[in-house]
Amino acid sequence: MIEAKGLKKTYTISKKAGFLRKEKQKVKAVDGIDLTISEGEIVGLLGLNGAGKTTTIKMLCTLLNPTAGTISVDGLDAVCDAMAVKGLVNMIAGGERMLYWRLTGAENLRYFGKLYGLHGLELEEKISSLLSQVGLSEVSDTPVELYSKGMKQRLQIARGLINDPRYLFLDEPTLGLDVPVAKQLRETVKNLAKEQQKGILLTSHYLEEVEELCDRVYIIEKGKIVLHDTPQKITETVVNEFHVSVETRTLSALEQSKLAKGLPSCKIQFLPSSDGTILEIKAPFDPTSIIIAICVEQKISIQKLELKRPRLEDAILALAKEKSA
Amino acid sequence: MRCMSILWAEAVKSHQHNFHNKLVYFSLLIWPALLFVTSYYSFKPFNLSATGPLSAYIETDQIILFLLTGYLAYIFFWSLVQSAWNMSYERQAGTLELIFLTPVSRITVMYARAAGNLFEAVWLFTLFTLLVLLTTGQADHIHWANVPIALLFLSISAIVWGGFLNIVFLFSRDAGILFTIFEEPMQFFSGVRIPVLAFPVWGKVIAFFFPLTYVLDIFRKLILDGAGLLQLIDQFLMLAGVLAILFTVSVLLLKKAEHHAKETGNMVLF
Repeated sequence: MIEAKGLKKTYTISKKAGFLRKEKQKVKAVDGIDLTISEGEIVGLLGLNGAGKTTTIKMLCTLLNPTAGTISVDGLDAVCDAMAVKGLVNMIAGGERMLYWRLTGAENLRYFGKLYGLHGLELEEKISSLLSQVGLSEVSDTPVELYSKGMKQRLQIARGLINDPRYLFLDEPTLGLDVPVAKQLRETVKNLAKEQQKGILLTSHYLEEVEELCDRVYIIEKGKIVLHDTPQKITETVVNEFHVSVETRTLSALEQSKLAKGLPSCKIQFLPSSDGTILEIKAPFDPTSIIIAICVEQKISIQKLELKRPRLEDAILALAKEKSA
Repeated sequence: MRCMSILWAEAVKSHQHNFHNKLVYFSLLIWPALLFVTSYYSFKPFNLSATGPLSAYIETDQIILFLLTGYLAYIFFWSLVQSAWNMSYERQAGTLELIFLTPVSRITVMYARAAGNLFEAVWLFTLFTLLVLLTTGQADHIHWANVPIALLFLSISAIVWGGFLNIVFLFSRDAGILFTIFEEPMQFFSGVRIPVLAFPVWGKVIAFFFPLTYVLDIFRKLILDGAGLLQLIDQFLMLAGVLAILFTVSVLLLKKAEHHAKETGNMVLF
């Protein structure tokens, strides 16, 4: 298990204060984060740009030293035992960097494999198996510069798995990928956690992706965790609003009044349509069973009923709105 | 075993990445060959007879040998300045950060990188040197028995030098100034074209700071004078001292560079 406690990172940056003068300024990128990642679990790390996600990932994978706090990876201290921790983790970032473009896919994996101490038949088998896993076997001997963006990203995944890490940090892994390739990558990530029991920390701006993949989500804002729960619970806690749209025959004033009385804590709008009436209902709970019961009692036929559950995206937007207010 | 594996990985990467085009090899020959030829013909208009000023320091009838050995050693050292310069590419590509994400020995990577680049950068000029020796009839003046040991000392010294430069470039993204320092000044003050002994005192002091000066002195004495290893013990000790200092500084700088990168996150800045 990865366990971070009281994680802080402060950068000292130089700001121009004249033609030759520079002023030093301290910037808190991460400010007291506690988090855990277990094997076989996908954990999301969400936040607006500059919230501290990448800095957190870089501290967890030993590329940055925390200013304060501790990180334990399977009992090893990420600062004091950094070299041992490096063997247990790996990181994959979105985009097309972090590969040697003039080398082929197989050559890239061979180089990084050797840095992890792999060699000979073991390394060659690993390269072949990883390339097959990410669907790049046929282009293993093609220079990376001729790969598409999606192929480069899949090679990144293979590179991130070359040391068979127990924990994998994915920083925007589907950035800029088209829908089918992103979907394929999501399947790969799911399999890594569920079948290979790897602990995964994922940051992404695609919230549907986080909702689909993550068991738990940390939401960070200005370096601090503001919420931590399952995506569903976060949504329910933050948004707490269900939106139901019902299409019926034209309703009389009496029927409209009965419906309004039956849903006292809800906001109801009755909108005329060409075929009848559209009810737009906003409720702090799922009101579909009550609506159906009233309609049955009043003999109102329902032509269409649509329930829009709140999404994680609504929660993040609500949180951002709350913070700016 | 692990060191050899990393050395091979760096050599292969370097070959595939830096020497991907045949024109690269062409430039590896043409540029140093032109340097040699222009230097040789720069001497021609001057008095190179036994009464000339240079005759106090070198055998003026062997000026070709003096320049060839000078440029051969210089190419060994200069090619590693260029190789270190490629660290900027690694920084931009994000691969430098990935190397530091692995548990590989950093010092091994730095020296393997130098060693892996060296052979490919120098073999063509080494062949050119051989060709010039044979075609100008100067081969008889070479002490061939000493050539392997001289090349071994030259290679080891160049690798220690190259490792140091790689680390300096690792430390700072603005290390391009080294290019300015090591191109013309190293060529001039290390005695590549003009013997160090011919310099005024201030010039000798500057020469003292370039490891190539010590290597070139030994290299020429072994190859041109046929000196034995025991005769050169003082020079070897001096060179060993210089390389030991360079290695110690490299180790300290490497630790500082990685620590600095972990504090500032500057490994991804370019």
